[in-house]
Amino acid sequence: MGGRELKLLESRRLLTLLLAGVFLWSLSTVDWRGPIIHTGGLAAFLDFLASLFPPELSPGFLGLALSASWQTLAYAVAGITLAVLIGFPLGVIASGSVSGSIRTGLGLAVAVRLILAAMRSIHELVWAVLFVAAFGLSSLTVILALALPYSGILGRIYGELFNQVPEGPLRALRASGASPFRVLLYGRLPMALPDMLGYTFYRLECAIRSAAIMSFVGIRGLGYEIQLSLHDLLFDQVWTLLLFMVGMVVLVDMWSSRVRRSLVS
Amino acid sequence: MSMNKSDSDHLLVATGISKSFGRVEALAPLNMTISQGERVALAGPSGSGKTTLLYLLAGIIQPDAGELLLAGQNLARQRPGKEKAGLVGLIHQQYDLVPHLPVLHNVLAGRLGQWSLFRSMISLVWPQDRQVAEEALAQMGIADKIHERTSHLSGGEQQRVAIARLMVQGSRVILADEPVSSLDPVRADDMLEILTALAGGSGRALVASIHSPRLMRKHFTRVIGLREGHLEFDIPAAEVTDRVFERLYDLDQSEAAVWGGGN
Ligand SMILES: Nc1ncnc2c1ncn2[C@@H]1O[C@H](COP(=O)(O)OP(=O)(O)OP(=O)(O)O)[C@@H](O)[C@H]1O
Ligand SMILES: [Mg+2]
Repeated sequence: MGGRELKLLESRRLLTLLLAGVFLWSLSTVDWRGPIIHTGGLAAFLDFLASLFPPELSPGFLGLALSASWQTLAYAVAGITLAVLIGFPLGVIASGSVSGSIRTGLGLAVAVRLILAAMRSIHELVWAVLFVAAFGLSSLTVILALALPYSGILGRIYGELFNQVPEGPLRALRASGASPFRVLLYGRLPMALPDMLGYTFYRLECAIRSAAIMSFVGIRGLGYEIQLSLHDLLFDQVWTLLLFMVGMVVLVDMWSSRVRRSLVS
Repeated sequence: MSMNKSDSDHLLVATGISKSFGRVEALAPLNMTISQGERVALAGPSGSGKTTLLYLLAGIIQPDAGELLLAGQNLARQRPGKEKAGLVGLIHQQYDLVPHLPVLHNVLAGRLGQWSLFRSMISLVWPQDRQVAEEALAQMGIADKIHERTSHLSGGEQQRVAIARLMVQGSRVILADEPVSSLDPVRADDMLEILTALAGGSGRALVASIHSPRLMRKHFTRVIGLREGHLEFDIPAAEVTDRVFERLYDLDQSEAAVWGGGN
């Protein structure tokens, strides 16, 4: 036992050394001769900062920003909702906790984990490029492009959360004659739910960001407007749009803590 | 085997059951029989295998060897379900309730072995057999807590919820792991009276791990002493003198050396 622990400690040290080495090597690949900061860029950056005072606040533009935000938020919420619907059952299977036979359960769990990994290893923009080819610039394209990688992320996390709940209450449920699925319903799910909700809301914030950058493939929304204004060097408009973006994330954050608080009391 | 009177009295028959965790022999091969109407106290110092034995009897863990018959059936290797839940019920050292659920659902969890899957699901929205849970909680004197979140209850109240769950489950053999370890002496007597009532009546029995000779003599019919996974004695509760008890718990140095070397 002691010997094994020592070996583990040694291999951990080795890994640390290795990672430190890789980091040092990566420094050597940076070209240090030229200036790191582009001098002409500084003036442009200061210009950009200055236009924050004030941002574009005309009613017409605020209306545009609002409808663009609404569109982006709608995409994000729809994408995450679909991701929850797909990720939840996959997470249940990935946790390997609900099969009658351990053997088939484990086999299924490994297969589903591979599928989840594949889903999330491809970026939402790449999925979007694929779906644009199939469905054109439609809402379906955005929602599917968001839902697939986020299902992979949520499914994996849900599966882990199901397995991290304390064992005692589960054992007691089994002793009351509960089958694995009933143990999930009455034990794993209620105990994992607060963390699952918190994590899903956090991922909704990320999805807002992802929905915004769908403008890169030509999807309308907040990101699209930012791109247009940037292109015309209308920095005051860019600021307004960025503030809307921040506002949305803050709103989701507030919504999240309200939901979680109501769950606890 | 012929089914004479005494055979059918046997609720629980263990033949040579043993359990090891890695190199630790938590329980050496053990024979024991528990008949209906018996109240058996398990005694022994920390790590002597009391919890392991109770978990084996409850079918939560499987023995490495040996056979366990519950009411004449070898249910130990069966999947959880109605039959097993009706035979053995366990109340744990830490009450092991689901802290996030309302009290009501923790009590109704005692029915999960009997309910169909569909019923188990809809009960989370429309509680089934609600009256049974209400009665059990009323008997435990905490009827007003039924909608409270379980984690908001005090330790003593949670223990009562766990017993209400056991009532709803209605098993014939009640297993209790250190049911009074966190209670003051008066409450300890109350608790053991509740468990005795629960395991009373024909065809029932109680097995509980207990550390007090006074409580053993008062509430139990029989005492099983364990030390380092081995059976030390199996005697009527009336014969548990303080001396017997001290010998089980207080290892003097020479004995400790023998036991330590024996492993
Ligand atoms: N799941 C497990 N994994 C490894 N070892 C275990 C496990 N459960 C019990 N043991 C070991 O088996 C032995 C008996 O443990 P058990 O929990 O049955 O003792 P106990 O009599 O209930 O003790 P206590 O009075 O402290 O509750 C101990 O040495 C313990 O460390
Ligand atoms: Mg114990």
